[in-house]
Amino acid sequence: MTRTLLMDSLLPADADAVLAGARTGDPASLEALYRAFEVPVYHLARRLCRTAEDAEDVMQETFFEVCRSIRQYRGDGSLWGWVRSIAASKALMRLRRNRYRETDELHDDFVAARREAPHLRMDLEAALERLPETSRAVVWLHDVEGYTHEEIASMMGRTTSFSKSQLARAHRRLRCWLNE
Amino acid sequence: MNPHLELEQLLALREPGAEPGDAALRDHLASCAECRAEAERLDQLQARLRALPVLRPTRDRWPAVRARLAADRRRVWWRRAGLASAGMAAALAGLILGNSFRSATPPDAAGVTGAAAEIARAKESSQALEQLLQQYDPDSRIIDGRTDRIAQELENRIAAVDRELQQTAAADEAERNAAALRLWRERVGLLDALVDVHVTRASNVGL
Repeated sequence: MTRTLLMDSLLPADADAVLAGARTGDPASLEALYRAFEVPVYHLARRLCRTAEDAEDVMQETFFEVCRSIRQYRGDGSLWGWVRSIAASKALMRLRRNRYRETDELHDDFVAARREAPHLRMDLEAALERLPETSRAVVWLHDVEGYTHEEIASMMGRTTSFSKSQLARAHRRLRCWLNE
Repeated sequence: MNPHLELEQLLALREPGAEPGDAALRDHLASCAECRAEAERLDQLQARLRALPVLRPTRDRWPAVRARLAADRRRVWWRRAGLASAGMAAALAGLILGNSFRSATPPDAAGVTGAAAEIARAKESSQALEQLLQQYDPDSRIIDGRTDRIAQELENRIAAVDRELQQTAAADEAERNAAALRLWRERVGLLDALVDVHVTRASNVGL
């Protein structure tokens, strides 16, 4: 919750005026919205997507949707929460579309190589990058963004059990790769 | 039997809300230093994930978002304008035909007929310009921000003229014809300017 509220503070001081302007389609207000949330949206997209290009495409898709649908935002929850849900949904859609190869063999080979050569111990950034896309998305959405398993399951069109098992799988792998 | 908690169980204990069997797991956690250390490692990993550096985009995507929004807006505008234009033309044709049947020798018959002919000509010019713009297909072209703003302003003014044209139906015949002629001419002028903004600018820069 704190994180979400902090993100809303990225809006300019005249946040109400920006929101009102954006709802009428005022270009300056729409750009102010973009500038306020550009970095957190990209950060989330980049953590979920495999490449920077994909993350930038997700960011573009997200803001196109935000600008087009801003009238639908009623102010019930935080604005960042609303923007973030669009970004997460676009990123997961991108993952489904790309269907990157997520062969266990690839990762198991990597783990075996690491065991044989301890100097290959990875830092967290590299380990996270190395996770299969679905596991990485689940661990990020759950542990960092604070989504519940029910919310993640809903966004991914899967079951709660699937989300839980992906989280455990991700933690197991991270721990192994981080040599902890 | 493994006396220690499984990773799945440790993760489950971090979830809000109590599940059946949680109490026994918590009792074990409270009494087992090894499981507490494992739980602590999970907390630390989560904290480290949250502390990873913020990643920033290397390119500004706002121009692309703005261009796509403008194209989207134009598509909607053209669809509405096309429908409104067709509706207005039909309404106007009905009015003119109705007038010609209503009175064989109206006092200002020549004036009304002259105005109707002028309106018809303006209408034809308006339709020709719209066709020209549709053929040119501005949505598929890349335009700079300044050109986009000018085009947007012209489209807004044309929409305002269309609204006024719809309101002229309430006026009496002479007023209606005079207002319709003025508005159709204004519409032609604005469309002409819009064609200039898109086509001429594109020719100048060799697009």
